[in-house]
Amino acid sequence: MAKEINKAGHAEDNRFDPVLLAIMANRMEAVCREMTNTMLLAARSSVIGMARDFSCAVITSENDILAVAEGFPIHVWGMNIQTESMCDLHPDFKEGDAFLHNDPYLGNTHAADHTIIVPVFYDDEYFFSVGIKAHQADIGNSMPTTYMAPAADVYHEGALIFPCVQVQSDYTDNEDIMRMCKRRIRVPEQWYGDYLAAVGAARIGERSLKNFVEKYGKQTVRDFVREWFDYSERRCMDAIKKLPKGQLQGQQTHDPMAPWIPDGIPVGLTIDIDPDEAMVTVDLRDNIDCIPAGLNLTESTSTMAAAQGILTCLGEDLPPNSGSLRRIKVLLRENCVVGIPRFPHSCSVATTNLTDLIVNVTQSAFAELGDGHGYAHGNYCNSAAAGVASGTDWRRDGEPYINQMFMMGGGGGASATCDGMHYLFVPVAAGLLYRDSIEINEQRFPIKVDSMKITTDSMGHGRRRGGPATRVVMGPRKDKMSILHVCNGLESAPKGVRGGTGSKFGGNVKIAKDGTETKYPAVMVCEIEAGEKLRADDQGGGGYGSPLDREVARVLNDVAERYVSMEIARDVYGVVIEGEVADDSLAANLTATEKLRAEMRA
Amino acid sequence: MSYRIAVDTGGTFTDVVVADADGRLTVGKSLTTPERTYDGFSGALANAADIIGVQVANLLAETEVLIYGTTRSTNSIVENKTAKTALLVTEGFPDTLLYRQGGKREPLNLAMEFPPPYVPRRLTFEIPERINAEGGIETALDEAAARATVEALPAMNIEAVAVSLLWSIVNPQHEVRIGALINEIMPGIPYTLSHQLNPIIREYPRTSSTAIDASLKPLMQSHLTEFQNDLRAANYQGEILVSACSGGVMHVDDVVEKPIYTVKSGPAMAPLAGIAYAAAEDEGNDVIIVDTGGTTFDVSMVRAGQIKFTRETWLLGEWIGHNLGLSSVDVRSVGAGGGSIAWIDSGGLLRVGPKSAGAVPGPACYGRGGTEATVTDAAVVLGYIDPNFFLGGRMALDVAAARKAIGAIADQSEMSAEQAAFAIITIAGEQMIKAIQEITVQDGVNPAESILVAGGGAAGLNILPIAKALGCAKVLVPRTAGALSACGGQYSNIVAEYSASQYAHSGNFDFAGVGRALGRIAEQIEAFSEELRGRGISKFESEYFVEARYINQQWEMEFAMPMAAIENDADVEALVQRFHDVHFRRYAIKEEGGAIECVNWKGRLTATLDKPTLPAEAASGDKAPVAKRISKTYFGGDALDAPVYVGTDLGPGAELKGPAIIEEPTTTIVVYPGATARVTDRHNYLLETETERGA
Repeated sequence: MAKEINKAGHAEDNRFDPVLLAIMANRMEAVCREMTNTMLLAARSSVIGMARDFSCAVITSENDILAVAEGFPIHVWGMNIQTESMCDLHPDFKEGDAFLHNDPYLGNTHAADHTIIVPVFYDDEYFFSVGIKAHQADIGNSMPTTYMAPAADVYHEGALIFPCVQVQSDYTDNEDIMRMCKRRIRVPEQWYGDYLAAVGAARIGERSLKNFVEKYGKQTVRDFVREWFDYSERRCMDAIKKLPKGQLQGQQTHDPMAPWIPDGIPVGLTIDIDPDEAMVTVDLRDNIDCIPAGLNLTESTSTMAAAQGILTCLGEDLPPNSGSLRRIKVLLRENCVVGIPRFPHSCSVATTNLTDLIVNVTQSAFAELGDGHGYAHGNYCNSAAAGVASGTDWRRDGEPYINQMFMMGGGGGASATCDGMHYLFVPVAAGLLYRDSIEINEQRFPIKVDSMKITTDSMGHGRRRGGPATRVVMGPRKDKMSILHVCNGLESAPKGVRGGTGSKFGGNVKIAKDGTETKYPAVMVCEIEAGEKLRADDQGGGGYGSPLDREVARVLNDVAERYVSMEIARDVYGVVIEGEVADDSLAANLTATEKLRAEMRA
Repeated sequence: MSYRIAVDTGGTFTDVVVADADGRLTVGKSLTTPERTYDGFSGALANAADIIGVQVANLLAETEVLIYGTTRSTNSIVENKTAKTALLVTEGFPDTLLYRQGGKREPLNLAMEFPPPYVPRRLTFEIPERINAEGGIETALDEAAARATVEALPAMNIEAVAVSLLWSIVNPQHEVRIGALINEIMPGIPYTLSHQLNPIIREYPRTSSTAIDASLKPLMQSHLTEFQNDLRAANYQGEILVSACSGGVMHVDDVVEKPIYTVKSGPAMAPLAGIAYAAAEDEGNDVIIVDTGGTTFDVSMVRAGQIKFTRETWLLGEWIGHNLGLSSVDVRSVGAGGGSIAWIDSGGLLRVGPKSAGAVPGPACYGRGGTEATVTDAAVVLGYIDPNFFLGGRMALDVAAARKAIGAIADQSEMSAEQAAFAIITIAGEQMIKAIQEITVQDGVNPAESILVAGGGAAGLNILPIAKALGCAKVLVPRTAGALSACGGQYSNIVAEYSASQYAHSGNFDFAGVGRALGRIAEQIEAFSEELRGRGISKFESEYFVEARYINQQWEMEFAMPMAAIENDADVEALVQRFHDVHFRRYAIKEEGGAIECVNWKGRLTATLDKPTLPAEAASGDKAPVAKRISKTYFGGDALDAPVYVGTDLGPGAELKGPAIIEEPTTTIVVYPGATARVTDRHNYLLETETERGA
């Protein structure tokens, strides 16, 4: 197993046994999975338990991210800054402590993500922290939403902010804090259930990590950590060395949000790829200052949005840890809307809108490197089918409810080899979220969902097409309900790359009893009465490459499956399709197709 | 003389296990013959008959029960060869099978193809109708539209129909009516109604089960009928039972009605063998069962004599493939086996799998053109597998090819060939460890408290280090390890499950509603028991389960109810208490004083069948085993001389100390240094190892 250990504590030839490295990495990953599983199955709110909007990580005593299982990249980065704040603010932290951290100015993503940090000791020596970060259904904001775009500042936002506050010592809750939260957070039992789940998951992680150190020995564990980061870095370097050298630019403007952001938010970035040094640098500094609205990003979300875009383009199963991230530098500026926020600017919406934009722009910029690189844009219209619904339930004596729904789809951007997925959600979510069951939603909330289906011709086209958009129609059954939501992509849409086309705008519309339609703005407070309906459309993903290069068989299948209409097949793809599904006669006319495609290419 | 025959028809081999009147088991093997299952079966049966020393005709004539397990349904799904099936759903929801329940693995991989929905969108039809969460009718069934839809199906050459409407679990009348229309318009075309097959809340798993079941009906009905006819033609007079994914067997006529139960039924039988062997050897009833073939490693678990079940059994990929949606034996499969390929990644780390050399070209040592290093090649280089006695000598292995393949890995990683080979075996074991950890920790079980029962051709190569890493001191390798699933069939009971969906809040318990739901289940159990009594079965057991959650918790947890009916507040309290206890055991938390919501109810009827008892033999006087030869073996250090024994020559009571190798006709057991092996009175192998600290 491990090489002989000398007095300095290093293996004699300074080489860690590669087999032991693989074994220990596997066991470390198992710790994360165990935490993830506990959190998922014990959680209360649908945002955590159904949608999986949470992540678990192991952070080293040096404040590096070591293992993350299958968490959201955007959640995970920054937990290192959060443990750093634990060391700064509670220098004598000890076994049995637990900290609640949701401070956007101290490394957290946004206030809605409550992070539980538990330091793990072995023989009184601090080895690791575990972090469980979960998006709460409510955090006591001034309005019943966890994404508060109009928030002029953190006071207006109104969230309870916990700058790494000690919530447990000796494995026992600080009841003052529990009472504070229960007083201010809507549907307090739901929050408390989620809190219990998070602490339970963290304690399970703690127990497993102690076993880990017990089993392998302290020095071997320290050596393993060092070697695992080095290995991850080597993998990342290797991937970067395969890229062409160059500088890429990307930019896009976030939709205006009257009256808070009348002109939208332009975001630009520059990517430097240096295969010689095996470094990728993303510069986000040349952007506007923080704005008086809740869309400012945090240090962690600015960094990881760019890094996530890069990592998905490197095309390898890179371990998403601090070792790989040594080769990706993200340059940020203080008091920048996509940088490091200056107190008291609000960062309420820091995990979606501008982060989605940065992921998209990074991925599409990569496509400029040549065919095979990058992706088209994915859906960034977080439609109202993912809004926060609240009201009272007459079936349960008027009991109040509040929860985020997860019924939207969101088309993924196409890659050089594959069509985009049908439930990307948004770029940051990367298709990882679970979806709500209609029946479970209708059992839990007094709503009726009228339909949920994908929309024909809604995606961008190309050699590989984007994933389709989803339309959801729903409303309350009896008493009025409110849906609060903030979205983007009502006045712009995902773009295609390398000759692929873009998709369509999203939209949220109220349908009155008489059928009159009213369009909602990006920041919506929607009150719906019984008989009224909300119709929510997200966007399809963009296409990759020319539609004229798409295989006829794929186009035929798209028509048969009603992803694409016969008209679009002809007008955009140049494929002539005849016959009908109803009598099994649908077929492509190859001669006519060849002719049409030749004409269109000319 | 009377026999019982259990058959497991796998993708490559057909295994037969014959039990004689004394409970002695004999394994026969033959290549599977997909064009006519009976041929492969009769080959394997002839093989077993030969060993027993009886004519096949006599064996069949004297057999009372035949248990048939098949991968036909599983394979037809994987290979996309099921019937052309139409799906009828509530208007507005044609994409339930496309969306599934969301989620995927690999956060950074966005370039992946999703398997298409189980029923394509073009064969999915929306029916105007709607029932609400309480069973009220929001929109009455549009008869004319439903009729028009069904009438259009024959022109599309539809062979089966699945019907899954929202809330049919609360009010089935629309599904029932559509069923009648199908009968009327397309008589003879098989169909499945979701509320009848799998009445659980959540439209995705219910619709998925319904679609899979309907799509299998034409195929499995003709398959089972053909096999039955072939058996009768061979003058077999006894009972025919079929293995099911519920971990029991069903009469062939019942399976024809619900063929989905045959999907993944093979691996679901393995834990039955695990329970039987562990009990016979007096090793308790907490068992982890592993089965290693050429390409997959299957794990299942038994806790306090109870098999672990799940409602998440996926085909073609977790979350992105198709969920069976039924309560079935929880079997975790990982792509790791003798054929898994080793490679070095760009960071210099040795990886094993997920790519496999499969059966063709197979490992390099098969000499069929494979050049990449596999786990089997590593075992050859390490001296674990005798190249002249592979599969009982039926296939000679090419040692030079194995060394060359392993050598390539060794060169890249600056190791000797033996070091590289040992590293490959070790890292392959890591994936198996991960699979075992996942199934156990999810249920709050410490694997160290269980015995491992290992089967499958490749299990013996590394089961001891796996056990050691998990902290399991004991491993039982049955003599019939090469046919664990067929073997499980010998120990099966008839199992039938009935579900009902009924909401109930513990603070305001709906005694009447739950009473009706459980009453319906009890009636179905009684009716089926009555039918079985008619077939001569007299021992029955029924258990009741509920899926419940804390208020607003997202996922329900299934647990066994401490009673069969809930009649008063004390019963509710006992139910809630049981929920707290199980929740704490699994997730390390409970909410003292918290109320619960009950969602789905289930009853399981177990009709006990007679089973063979594993007979003990007297320990032979000759206790000093004789090695047939000495093999030069490697275990991460210098070469060690390991005696090689022929399993069939070892008598009960024989004890071996590692390093040693035991060769059985269908598997090889490597006894690692520091471990011991004992031949039990029932002629199984009990391996013991020191365990790692703090595992």
